Amino acid sequence: MPIHFLIAILSFCCMSTAVIAQTAKLPETVKVDPAALNIEPICDPKIAASWREAQEIEGVKIKESRLCNPDNPAWIAAAVKGTNNISMATLMQTGLSPDAIIKTDDLDGDGDPDRITIKLEIMELNGSSRDFDGLVPTFDIAPGIQPGAWVFAPKTSGMSTENFESVRANPLLRLPSPVIRVEVGDIVQIVLENTHYFPHSIHLHGVDHPFSHHEYGGNDGVPQTNEMHLMPGERRVYEFQPRHAGTMFYHCHVQTHTHLAMGLGGIIIVEENRPNNWLQTLNIGGGQVRHPSVAIKEDFDQEYDLHYHAMDKELTGIIQKYNDPRLIAHEMNQRYDITDSTEDYFTLNGLSFPYTLRESLITVEPDQKIKLRVLNSGGELLALHTHGHHATITHYDGVEHNPIAQIMRDVFDLAPAQRLDLTLNTTNDGLHSYGEGNWLFHDHREKGITTDGMSEGGSMSAIVYKSYLTEIGLPKGSHGVDLNTYFSKEFYQRKVPVWQDLDKAGTLGTPAGQTGMTAGIDPATRTSLLNFLYGLLLGISIYLLIAKRQLAKQAVLRVVSLLKGSKGSIKND
Amino acid sequence: MIKYFSILLVGSLVIGPHAYATEPIKPVDHSGHTMQHDDGHDMVHGDDHMMDAPPSEHSKGHTTPEGHTSHQGDGHHHMDEDHIMDHEGGMIMGQNFDKLPTSCDSISEEIEITVRAGRKYAEKFPGTAFAFDNQEWRVKPCAKVTWHFINEDHVRHQFMMHGLPRYLYKYGMFHLEVTGPKTISGTIIMPGADETYLVHCDIAQHMENGMKAQLVVGKGGENLPSIPGLTPYAFTDIYKHVDLPQVSDKTDEDSIMKQVADLFDSNSLNSGMLIFGLLFGVLSVPLIRKLKPIRKSNNNNQ
Ligand SMILES: [Cu+2]
Ligand SMILES: [Cu+2]
Repeated sequence: MPIHFLIAILSFCCMSTAVIAQTAKLPETVKVDPAALNIEPICDPKIAASWREAQEIEGVKIKESRLCNPDNPAWIAAAVKGTNNISMATLMQTGLSPDAIIKTDDLDGDGDPDRITIKLEIMELNGSSRDFDGLVPTFDIAPGIQPGAWVFAPKTSGMSTENFESVRANPLLRLPSPVIRVEVGDIVQIVLENTHYFPHSIHLHGVDHPFSHHEYGGNDGVPQTNEMHLMPGERRVYEFQPRHAGTMFYHCHVQTHTHLAMGLGGIIIVEENRPNNWLQTLNIGGGQVRHPSVAIKEDFDQEYDLHYHAMDKELTGIIQKYNDPRLIAHEMNQRYDITDSTEDYFTLNGLSFPYTLRESLITVEPDQKIKLRVLNSGGELLALHTHGHHATITHYDGVEHNPIAQIMRDVFDLAPAQRLDLTLNTTNDGLHSYGEGNWLFHDHREKGITTDGMSEGGSMSAIVYKSYLTEIGLPKGSHGVDLNTYFSKEFYQRKVPVWQDLDKAGTLGTPAGQTGMTAGIDPATRTSLLNFLYGLLLGISIYLLIAKRQLAKQAVLRVVSLLKGSKGSIKND
Repeated sequence: MIKYFSILLVGSLVIGPHAYATEPIKPVDHSGHTMQHDDGHDMVHGDDHMMDAPPSEHSKGHTTPEGHTSHQGDGHHHMDEDHIMDHEGGMIMGQNFDKLPTSCDSISEEIEITVRAGRKYAEKFPGTAFAFDNQEWRVKPCAKVTWHFINEDHVRHQFMMHGLPRYLYKYGMFHLEVTGPKTISGTIIMPGADETYLVHCDIAQHMENGMKAQLVVGKGGENLPSIPGLTPYAFTDIYKHVDLPQVSDKTDEDSIMKQVADLFDSNSLNSGMLIFGLLFGVLSVPLIRKLKPIRKSNNNNQ
């Protein structure tokens, strides 16, 4: 019986070795069939095409957006008039709470309201649940990429999800925290209603604000110097009357090393005081400002808010791994070590490529002057590169640079928390612009164009001239790469060979695996498996040798005698 | 969200934005419904009415009774009879004073239940952040229940009930929402069957962190999971031993007793193994001794 077993193992080993040894032809290239991928529509089908048009709602003029996923125009109307000055019909289209943005009192009599109250809540995105094995409410920064995040969100009404059946977040609950716009001289109240299970605060980085308010107390948002933590379920008013205009930054100052990275930071802009200056108080999701201020309209054709951020998946994963706030606090405050951290997700206005194509393109026409306000809320230096253009740096951190000393660049370095105001000039003179095209703009630290190391991803977007924009607001790719693959979660799960479709033969695709009995086993496993079989064989032989030593002895003797016999016969010859 | 309200919008367009902002509160007028009820059309009435833009005079009949909200002074915006919102976002949705569920012949009892919500009610449930003061309420089938929802926090909370019959309640929901500290009230009629309904706050992480309860009608149905202090969690964390500094650590840091104690404390697994090893050693010696004579006897047999 053991003999049969031995033969079987022996033959198996021979077969496996034969497969490896056979090198006459290498395996064929195999391809992923697009039909096997979960490809999302490039533009969100839920968004009405009419949202892209130039329009007027509640007397608010809203500029055209050529993007595939434009902002809800009702959001813009509500942000300009205030939720207290619009019809219930418009308000119902926003999902905002009726007290989200309150505008009253024209204090200087110049035709616009000067008392502005903005109510912000704190919402968790892609958090865990004790009820089911999944995340809620979900917000994808790229196909299938759902980092746990916290955001300041405009005060909403109703559910956190689209509806009771869906786990997808209400569209107002998203990254980044909204862009806030106020006017010099406005009496601004930012009311923070802490709907989250952790303490938080707001620090108004760069915005003129008193250290302490006579009525509301601490106003700088720093627990160690200024005010107590704003606990869950509590509300705090931050009041200020800014005297200086500029692009600034607001963020949570509680455990800032984790809370800011989790998403609790946004752009706040103080606009110059002008008559009849009804500002778009919130630019939800950032990007194109469809109702720019009077001062911006004087000097520019367009304005864009560009908020760059980066996240470490080890940090963002904590709220997905634990439910108990005490465990999350322990993990974040005591165990997570930011000095050992690496950033994995890079976003522009809360999204990574290819979703940046949906709503963060800079769409231009020749001979335009465009204002770009850029914030880096990530933990490292950013090196923003504009293909085909040199833009001019006009402001650093909300302060105008000496006009005669302003410089032009094509790489803009932004330290963490830094803001730059850029003027992008689309005049085709070989310096400002090299002409019309679909020009990339991206972080030139190359990891910045990846999503967890998978390229193309990250905060990459494009400056697209009208002639290079399709009907639905997507850039016409002159190189012909099919964008669809990027809109599948499998791509970012590293399941799609990036170069499989570069040529028909798929010369740089993925080779098929070995066929036969060991197919589907990787080389390392196969080697150890073979080693194990050889070992087994050796063991069995030794066992047989000892157990049947009498038989073996006889066999050896017989062979020896045979040999001797043959030798003898040779001798005899 | 947008979709969620789009149907209501149709109604609100007809009614006009601030039509009721300054109107005095009128008593409830259910005449329209009573008529339809008598016709036996109440089953379809709910859905049809919600989908169509109601004629404005119809809507006028349905203002909220004074006693049901605590913040009447500044008036309400009326989307339609089914969705009432004040200027601070206080909201009543899916209210039902008079539409009898098909499973009921009559209203069995008329009761009022007060529900308090806030961070302070989570204190008795370690590992939660927000809670209601009660995690379970019991009513009779066909009960007419008026809920007084008192939010004691300074943020938004919701009292949201799910699983109600859709022919009476849009999306099968009854929803109270208010930013505290404030009270909001609403009335519903429970169906006749024994059933357990989910009650929660849908603000991100509120239900997940404690704001979950159930309403048991009659004998009730199956219990819902993850209700603090009431039912087991569907998913729970793993709690590992945490080594926190103790007062006793500080007092005699140099004593030998302290160091011995530390040796055992520092690694619970190792100290456990040490004891295990000790026990094993002590117990196994007599066992081995017992085995020896057997071996000897075996040897003798050979
Ligand atoms: Cu914070
Ligand atoms: Cu709540």
